[in-house]
Amino acid sequence: MANSKGKSASRPNKTILGRTLILALVCGVVAFSILAWRLYKLMIVDHDFYEERAVRQQTRTVSVAASRGTITDANGKTLAQSATAYNIFLSPYEIDLYSHKEYKPNEIHYGDDPMLIATELNRILGADIDTMLKQMEDTKSWYKTVASKVEAEVADEVRAFIKEYNIAGVHIEVSSKRYYPQGSLACHVIGFVGTENYGLEGIEALYDSKLEGTNGSVVRLVANNGTEMLFENYQNYNDAVDGNDITLTLDSTVQAIAEKYLKQAMEANYILNGGCCIVMNVKTGEILALANANSYDLNDPFTLPQETLDEIALIEDPEERAAARDAAYFAMYRNMAVSDTYEPGSVFKIITMSIGLEEGVISEDDHFYCSGKIPARTIPGRLTDLNCWKHAGHGDQTLREAAMHSCNVAFVNIGLKIGAERYYDYVRAFGLRDKTGVDLSGESGSIWWTDDVFFDPTNQSQLAAASFGQTLKVTPIQMITAVSAAVNGGYLMEPYIVKEMRNEDGEVIYAREPKVVRQVISEETSALVADILESVVSEKGGTGSNAYVPGYRVGGKTGTTTKTEIEITENRKEYMVSFCGVAPCDDPEVAVLLVLDNPDPESGLYIGGGGMAAPYVGKIMSELLPYLGVQPVYSPEEEALLDVTVPRLVGSELVSAREKLTSLGLNVREVGEGSTVTGQLPVTGAQVAAGSQIILYLGDVPEHDPVKVPDLTGMKVNQARNALQNAGLFLDTSGASPSISGVVVQSQAVEAGTEVPYGAVINVTLVDKSNQGRY
Amino acid sequence: MKYSEEFEPSSRGVPAYPERELRDRRLESRHVERGAMDLPFFLLTILILTIGVVMVLSASFARAYYGKLANATYFFVRQLGFAVSGVVIMLVVSHFPPTLLRRYSFYFLVLTWVLLVMVLLVGTGGDEVGATRWLDLGFISFQPSEFVKLAVILSFATMICKYKDRMKTFKYGVLPFAIILGITVLLLYFEPHLSASVIILALGAIMMFAGGTRWQYFVFGGLGVGAVGYLVVTKMAYASARITAWLDPWSDPLDSGLQTIQSLYAIGSGGLLGLGLGRGVQKYMYLPEEHNDFIFSIVCEELGFIGALLILILFALLIIRGYWLALHARDRFGALVITGITSLLAIQVILNVAVVTNLVPCTGISLPFFSYGGTALWLQLAEMGIVLSISREIPLRKKSTTGGKDRET
Repeated sequence: MANSKGKSASRPNKTILGRTLILALVCGVVAFSILAWRLYKLMIVDHDFYEERAVRQQTRTVSVAASRGTITDANGKTLAQSATAYNIFLSPYEIDLYSHKEYKPNEIHYGDDPMLIATELNRILGADIDTMLKQMEDTKSWYKTVASKVEAEVADEVRAFIKEYNIAGVHIEVSSKRYYPQGSLACHVIGFVGTENYGLEGIEALYDSKLEGTNGSVVRLVANNGTEMLFENYQNYNDAVDGNDITLTLDSTVQAIAEKYLKQAMEANYILNGGCCIVMNVKTGEILALANANSYDLNDPFTLPQETLDEIALIEDPEERAAARDAAYFAMYRNMAVSDTYEPGSVFKIITMSIGLEEGVISEDDHFYCSGKIPARTIPGRLTDLNCWKHAGHGDQTLREAAMHSCNVAFVNIGLKIGAERYYDYVRAFGLRDKTGVDLSGESGSIWWTDDVFFDPTNQSQLAAASFGQTLKVTPIQMITAVSAAVNGGYLMEPYIVKEMRNEDGEVIYAREPKVVRQVISEETSALVADILESVVSEKGGTGSNAYVPGYRVGGKTGTTTKTEIEITENRKEYMVSFCGVAPCDDPEVAVLLVLDNPDPESGLYIGGGGMAAPYVGKIMSELLPYLGVQPVYSPEEEALLDVTVPRLVGSELVSAREKLTSLGLNVREVGEGSTVTGQLPVTGAQVAAGSQIILYLGDVPEHDPVKVPDLTGMKVNQARNALQNAGLFLDTSGASPSISGVVVQSQAVEAGTEVPYGAVINVTLVDKSNQGRY
Repeated sequence: MKYSEEFEPSSRGVPAYPERELRDRRLESRHVERGAMDLPFFLLTILILTIGVVMVLSASFARAYYGKLANATYFFVRQLGFAVSGVVIMLVVSHFPPTLLRRYSFYFLVLTWVLLVMVLLVGTGGDEVGATRWLDLGFISFQPSEFVKLAVILSFATMICKYKDRMKTFKYGVLPFAIILGITVLLLYFEPHLSASVIILALGAIMMFAGGTRWQYFVFGGLGVGAVGYLVVTKMAYASARITAWLDPWSDPLDSGLQTIQSLYAIGSGGLLGLGLGRGVQKYMYLPEEHNDFIFSIVCEELGFIGALLILILFALLIIRGYWLALHARDRFGALVITGITSLLAIQVILNVAVVTNLVPCTGISLPFFSYGGTALWLQLAEMGIVLSISREIPLRKKSTTGGKDRET
């Protein structure tokens, strides 16, 4: 019965049954298979594609800026270092997106509003409102810089603003700022970085890849509202690799000395163009100081000097103005010491002399006669007579005297004796025709005649000119390197300024060893050259006497040239004066080259390297040599003329005080009655010239009114001492040795007419004017 | 066994096929012995529901925590409550005799239509822009379109049982159904509610198909729906924008393509084994609707291909079991109702997964038992309850005579 009923009930269901089976197949199997295939495609086949994109949006990568390496001087004093700073930038795309109120992605409400952002950032950063509004119009951009390298406090203010209004389109990124603690010191060596912290000049540029390091990153998962995730704290650190630290051979003390006297030389000699000073360790080629007169503040390298700006502002044509500005920057950044060539003049006689001695064409005992000129006919190819700077002639002289006199006639003869080919071989051997290879950017090569021209037997005028350094052009760094080779035993060194590089862990990754390029002359020849150079400075009649430093064996050679090009093209004279000093001459350690470009011919000063450059090289040596630890050795005459340090006498017995002063070579004047010294002038520790009269007070010490400094210019040492003594003041000298008879006061540290306390010490600079000339 | 005393002559005059009608009446009115509900179907439902509730916790805690609620378990606790009460509803419904549903199916249909009209008058938009789909009764709010789906199933099943062999004719097999679908879709069009319209059309088609409507009509119907669909897609701005976003979500990654892209990121980054339950990232405000329509993306991200496949298999098993129950139902009405409810479940699951995987254009279809939402869950469980209720009437197979005897006593 059940069966029949079931049959009758199921019959009409047959269609339903079949179709339900089809449905079961379609909805239960086919559709799900398609879905499973789709999931397989998305989750397995394309997994990497989606995961990468998902991770990209789910993570925030915060760049960790690598700290740029520090640049220090030879003693570890910091010359350039980096500190954290912040860049503020806009994301116009986000500002545009989130400033539309109806757009509320994921229920997060942003307070972006272009005007609000512009006004607030203007308040905090001082950025221009219109500029920012314009930046925000570029709604496709995600990155528009508003301010670079702002300090942490400023960045904090911006952060507070972002938080307060929940701004989506203003961002802060960590950057770093470069600081140059020494300001303009060694600016052309160190260089500076641009806004992106890429080195633009100097060591910063040349060693940029070593200094910059590699930025790291912190990758972390974040929720879409920017906050940390609840339970996930996935973070991935890619450590930044800090840049390498660079230690220079440069010594900031020496650099400061060089810069100080370069500046003084520039001002005192009314130098119109430029000037540079290089101090080099002759034994190693290490550059201890490299200074150019056109210095600038490394912390503000994009600001031209005010007077330059004023000049540029006067130019009306905008293109010309822009060109003038470019030229001004170019001039300010120019590293004359390695980038500019000059005619070295008589300094080059050191090279000629070295070649002659090494080749044996001359010897120390040879005599040279100077009539004041060499007739044109004796030099093949020369059209005019070749005059010595001293038209009267030097007469008969030994080689040493010829060098002391800087006699053109003698050195032209030496050069002709050497011969053109041999001369050029040595010029090349001294490294004067190649770049020195110094690790500074922008090094220039030298300018010489071609071999064909120079070797022409029918025209030896070039060789004659080269013999005393005329017409050819070398860079200051080439010149001092060659002179170093001439006095250091004959070894041409490759000059260098980067001594050492250390990675962030302090491991030395680069240590520079001095590199001998070649031996040019023998040690004996070299020693003789150094000895002759000392005579140029120390002996009576030497043209370098202004570089004399008591107690030290300073040698050197002057140089004065008229610029050949300007003389030919403009028919006027423009001078280049220089002095290259070496010390100590028994075993030279340092060389100092001072080059001054174009002393004002209307200043009234006598233009010459001996009068203009030598005194300042002497001053540099007088500070440099004690700093380098060279022990002074005084001759008895020098001893007698030395400045004396006044001892403490107050409280001692008159008799013993008197004895002490006498033994120091000082005179005594007693004021008052008594046996015990109650006061003294000048004070303890003051430096005074030998023979000064020290005032000892016995009993009451009287009060004195300030006194006026007398004008001492042009006086001899004794006259100056007396003049000061009469005024109640004391003398202290620097510059040329007071022992040289022709020495007079060139300048005084305190101007005439200035009121100073009674008993003050006045420093004067002495200059030897006994043999002025363009040597 | 006795025939019903309730038998009365048809008020509509002499039936066309009196014999058959009589038999139906008998079947309907006889006393039917109700046994235990179908255990596999029940257990599959409970299993899927449990996984769904756990996934609501995982998917929702981030937004619940960061949002205005600042309560990580807000959605989970509520969903748990809905689930527990929903299971109670399911068990209660599983005791309703199916005849009740048959008797009141048309009243129910008319009632849902009234609700749809009310939506147009006093409805609220919910989170959809430019559409009103919800009725807020103060203590509870719901989408009447959900109820319409059930009403269509019940009324169509009733009609098919009534028309029987006449289903092959156009007059009975197509026209009445088309009219009901037309009215319903028209009401939904004004909301507008495209996804519900699509589901109801598909559901109606499936019911008619199962009920015996001739193949040819589906071809014409398909063409007609296709034409209307084309018009809708081209004329309705929000629909055409979705087509564009479907074909190239990256054309507008921050607006119309956002959901799709974020969903694909979630699914794709899951890989074979997933990031682990609760350890997904996309729910941290990257993926919108992560605990509603797009919860399956989070499932994929966290449980991986293996986990997602397993859940799809569970759904497929539930659906196949549903059809199995339909095939074994005691009577035609029961079979059709189960087919309808199972098909509705299948359509929702398939469309939802197709949407989150960007197989079809993005539209708001929730995933049964997973997506957060109280009334929808209650209704789904009530529908499962109907299936279980019908399953109680399936006679046990005669495994043995004793078994049969046991059943008969």
